[in-house]
Amino acid sequence: MTNSGDAVRIVMIEDDAGHARLIERNIRRAGVNNEIIPFTTGTDALAYVFGSDGSGEVSSKRHLLVLLDLNLPDMTGVGILEKIKANEHTRRIPVVVLTTTDDEREIKRCYDLGANVYITKPVDYDNFSNAIRQLGLFFSVIQVPETQ
Amino acid sequence: MPPDPQRLLRTTYAFGAAGFAALLLLMIASFWLAQRTQSTTENVLKARAQRTVLVRLLSTVQDAETGQRGYLLTGEDRYLKPYETAISDIEPRLRDVRAAFKENPEEGPAIEKIDETIDQKLAELAKTISAFNAGKSSEALEIVKSDHGKDLMDQIRVLIGEAFQHVDKKLSQGVEQQRIDAAAARQFSLLAGTFILLTALGAIATIVRYTRQLVSARNELQELNTGLENRVAERTADLKRANEEIQRFAYIVSHDLRAPLVNVMGYTSELEASLETLQALTNDPQFHVLATAEAAKAAVTTDLPESIGFIRTSTQKMDGLIKAILKLSREGQRVLAPERINLADFFDSVADSVQHRVSSAGGEIRIVKPLASIEGDRLALEQIFGNLVDNALKYRAKDRPPVIKISQVSNRWGAVDIEVEDNGRGIGEEDRERVFDLFRRAGPQDQQGEGIGLAHVRTLVRRLGGEITMSSQLGRGTTFRVTLPSKLNIRG
Repeated sequence: MTNSGDAVRIVMIEDDAGHARLIERNIRRAGVNNEIIPFTTGTDALAYVFGSDGSGEVSSKRHLLVLLDLNLPDMTGVGILEKIKANEHTRRIPVVVLTTTDDEREIKRCYDLGANVYITKPVDYDNFSNAIRQLGLFFSVIQVPETQ
Repeated sequence: MPPDPQRLLRTTYAFGAAGFAALLLLMIASFWLAQRTQSTTENVLKARAQRTVLVRLLSTVQDAETGQRGYLLTGEDRYLKPYETAISDIEPRLRDVRAAFKENPEEGPAIEKIDETIDQKLAELAKTISAFNAGKSSEALEIVKSDHGKDLMDQIRVLIGEAFQHVDKKLSQGVEQQRIDAAAARQFSLLAGTFILLTALGAIATIVRYTRQLVSARNELQELNTGLENRVAERTADLKRANEEIQRFAYIVSHDLRAPLVNVMGYTSELEASLETLQALTNDPQFHVLATAEAAKAAVTTDLPESIGFIRTSTQKMDGLIKAILKLSREGQRVLAPERINLADFFDSVADSVQHRVSSAGGEIRIVKPLASIEGDRLALEQIFGNLVDNALKYRAKDRPPVIKISQVSNRWGAVDIEVEDNGRGIGEEDRERVFDLFRRAGPQDQQGEGIGLAHVRTLVRRLGGEITMSSQLGRGTTFRVTLPSKLNIRG
């Protein structure tokens, strides 16, 4: 992936700096070297994904992958997921939900809204880093849609 | 004003009694008046009879006189015949008169006088007849001419006329009395009838008023009832809201607590990973050259791993507790699925699921049948009784095989009481309420567990609309009594 002309950028929306750092470390350990753009608030992340005009057109030319935490200070991750999957230009962006919630209804709701992967952050760190590494594997096989 | 049934009864009885008394009075008066009318009528009839006998007496005396005159004038026997008939009739006629006036002694002297005068008249008549028969017709005529006979006859007429007047007076008095009695009867009937009607109206008015009061009281009651229902509904809604809030609170808190825990755990692992590098460093022979090498090695190989170990176990424990709270709050939010459950089959399957543990401990589970059939949430019931049986096995007495008895102790209307009795180690007096609290455990802490089992059980039982109580004797055993509604009432 890194050798493609327009490399996939990972948009990480995570308000907890510790979690963000742990996720990043594990992604790197998994051998994924794509650029990671961190956001701690939903507002900033949406501004990046949808552009300054909010139309989402900016993303139609980009290869993105979104790592999304559901518990954000300014809005819910579900809301962000909904917006991304509802927009013509952004709905093909793969969204990986990575959160502490393991509530079945929440998981089901995310998949209903179009989430591609749902990963629970386990307190058991080994499981956690395992999951992230598998995610790295997932990154390496995932086909990000070509720019139109 | 609330209607007073006693007062109503009293008033109605009073009206009824008054009406009845009036009716009775009317009956007595009518009877009395009828009696009076009858006696008056009898008097009138008697007076008429008296008139008749007097008329007949007078006419008989007149017949006798007429016969005498005819005989004296003609000397023919055919004129003597009426005279003789009349003479013989006089006595019976007089008897009739006496009989008719027998009940009127005040008329006795007048009758006597009539009797006497008639006797004298008869004597005068007989005297003239006998003189004529003896051929002394002139003498007979003399007697007639003396006007003695005429005077007697006039006297008789006057006397009988007087008697007539008395009788007529009585007759008109009787008729007048009858008229008065009839008028009195009419007036009295009218009065009594009106009175009875009034009492009846009074009774009806009382009943109508009472009925109105009853109706208005009933309406008021209905309104109150509706108000009460509304209030209950409001309170229930409040409670439900509060409960939901608590559950949401528990959920959010436990959820948000996990986020920092992920960091604690994650960075502990990172520390561990870094530690390995450090340990490798301290094993390097070159490292020992340093003055602080020994202390550093001790820290890296002993102190740090120990600290990290404590952090790890504490975090794991905390994670367990948070999971327990999450589980409880989720259990409260789960939608119950009511279904008909045959408790006999249900407990058989509960027993089956722990059979190998029971038999390996040499114990037994006794399920006392018959058992009722209830409508409930199977999953919740499985968790409730699974937990209780699990506890009974877990906290069994060390010196004897476990014996667990499950029985239905009563079948009240709308509820079923199930007892789970064991011969385990029992729960001390001071721990009876604590065991139901979250994260609290009783007795020697020799078993794995977080202290959420019974808290969970109680939450579930209450969720199903039931209650759980416990009795226990330390060292002898514990009995849990679970009261379940026979029909699940889903309160949202």
